Amino acid sequence: MKNIVIGQYVPGDGFLYRLDPRTKLIAVIILMVAVFLLETIIELVVAFGLVILLLIAGKISIVRVAKGLKPLFVLLLFTFFFQILFNKEGTLLVEEILSLNPANLGLGLLLTVLWRLLARFGKFKTILLFLWIAGIYCLLRYVAIAPQWTTFSLQIHEKGIEMSVFVVIRLLIIISLSTIMTLTTKPTDLTQGLEKLMRPLKVIGIKSDDFALIISISLRYIPTILDEANKIMAAQASRGADFSEGGLKEKIKQVISLLVPMFIIAFKRSEELADAMESRNFVPGKKRTRIHELSFGWKDAVTSVVILLCLAASITLKVIG
Amino acid sequence: MGIRFREVSYHYPQNHLQFHQAIEKISFQVSAKGEFIALVGHTGSGKSTLAQHMNALIFPTEGSVEIFGHSVTRKRNRKIRYNDLRKHVGLVFQFPEYQLFEETVEKDIIFGPLNYKVPLDEAKTIALKTLAQVGLDESYLNRNPFNLSGGEKKRVSIAGILALDPDILVLDEPTSGLDPEGKRVLMDLFQSIQFETDKTIVIITHDMDLVYQYTSRVLVMNQGKLVFDGTPEKLFRTAPLTEYQLSMPETIKVLQAINERLGLSIDIYQKTAEAAIQAIKEAVRQ
Repeated sequence: MKNIVIGQYVPGDGFLYRLDPRTKLIAVIILMVAVFLLETIIELVVAFGLVILLLIAGKISIVRVAKGLKPLFVLLLFTFFFQILFNKEGTLLVEEILSLNPANLGLGLLLTVLWRLLARFGKFKTILLFLWIAGIYCLLRYVAIAPQWTTFSLQIHEKGIEMSVFVVIRLLIIISLSTIMTLTTKPTDLTQGLEKLMRPLKVIGIKSDDFALIISISLRYIPTILDEANKIMAAQASRGADFSEGGLKEKIKQVISLLVPMFIIAFKRSEELADAMESRNFVPGKKRTRIHELSFGWKDAVTSVVILLCLAASITLKVIG
Repeated sequence: MGIRFREVSYHYPQNHLQFHQAIEKISFQVSAKGEFIALVGHTGSGKSTLAQHMNALIFPTEGSVEIFGHSVTRKRNRKIRYNDLRKHVGLVFQFPEYQLFEETVEKDIIFGPLNYKVPLDEAKTIALKTLAQVGLDESYLNRNPFNLSGGEKKRVSIAGILALDPDILVLDEPTSGLDPEGKRVLMDLFQSIQFETDKTIVIITHDMDLVYQYTSRVLVMNQGKLVFDGTPEKLFRTAPLTEYQLSMPETIKVLQAINERLGLSIDIYQKTAEAAIQAIKEAVRQ
């Protein structure tokens, strides 16, 4: 819990940093729409190439974006296998008969136990996971001794492979785009941009400045609350409630011992903050000036034109194809 | 037995959220009986970091801390039940708000003992006893801890740790936010607890008067290093206080000023205000 970085903003000086957050917000939305309009793998690969070009032009390290993708790796993997296994369109490429019987069930359980034991040492966890999956597959495929309980066939179709690659690339592009935005925009600028963009919604009664204030205060207080949570956990650990030891029933009690002080401290802090804001003459709903006003410059204009061209291109492709 | 620090260093992770001083190569020993130790130092000198090592809340980056025979090092050792170490060394945090969570004082105090599998009725007896130790009567048992005053909350949080019957009691700035009278009452309380139970007490404080008046040993931290370990007498008579970013106790400062202004030679090393007044009276009589 100690290493959470709030927002992914990394200071830098590429041209993406100098764009108006509003431009970036709208650009990301439009580009996502454009990507969803694309229909073939080749088009998507070209789009992906463009995203990488954008990274290079914006002087953003690809490694960093890849790191941002890491938490979503499981999701990508899941989509990939889901498409491969369950899409039954197109010509059949591979068919394997898998069977489940007492022998391979027993061996499978043994393998699982072995895997968990080895995983405890904490090294090569990913490799072990893949070895386990491969092992289970081999057992199901090749250990086919009677009595068979059930057999099922594993089929991989042409369309399945195509769709899995297609969906994964599309997800990659979309995630990279939003990562680029959060990497190059300060959370405060982002909320200010949102506020400005949502201003027209005032007509239907949504107050965008209140909304922006809520977001920026929440962002500001996440590290503080986390810090507080750490202190509370340490204090309760001093009373024998270590969060990494003890059974489930104890854990529940420990969580309560964390949550109650956290809520109390959070409420106290919010009251203090409200007082501090009011004593500096903050009146809800009144117009305030900003230290940094957003400005829409020629760079933003150029970017907007390019983005609109991208959208036009993908619409054209959709219509032609 | 007790706690032994061997060349302990600790560095916070790079993107750590709060400002904290790392500590460098610290070695000293705290015995399990009868010591009254003050841990002092400028804000951000690493005192709290050091205190959290004493009951294995954080593990040293280098070196080892031996806590009642168990060696705590960088890696978590599966053979050690860290919870059990914490029964030996009780750490009371600065703000009682971080600790109190139950709806009655009694429930809050028995939370610790119950974690260590003490039977309920026994825990309740302990709660009553520790509440008396911190100077609150039994009418507090059924009160809501959140409706108490600051000083009372502090006492309840101390009782919550005392209920574990630790051999060593570590208190992080127990006197902060209290008025001078409240401070003295609380320090008297620690002194009597120490006198009755022969526990070792370690307090972190900024108040040099309390250090001089109550404690028998002082550890001074400065910029992550342990720069002094000795009696308060030695500290205030010989040590380079300004270098340590510390100040003299108020009584000594006042007596020094009187001596300078009036050209007297009163013994400035008086531990309490009363003793100082006595010394001034005697000087006046002469």
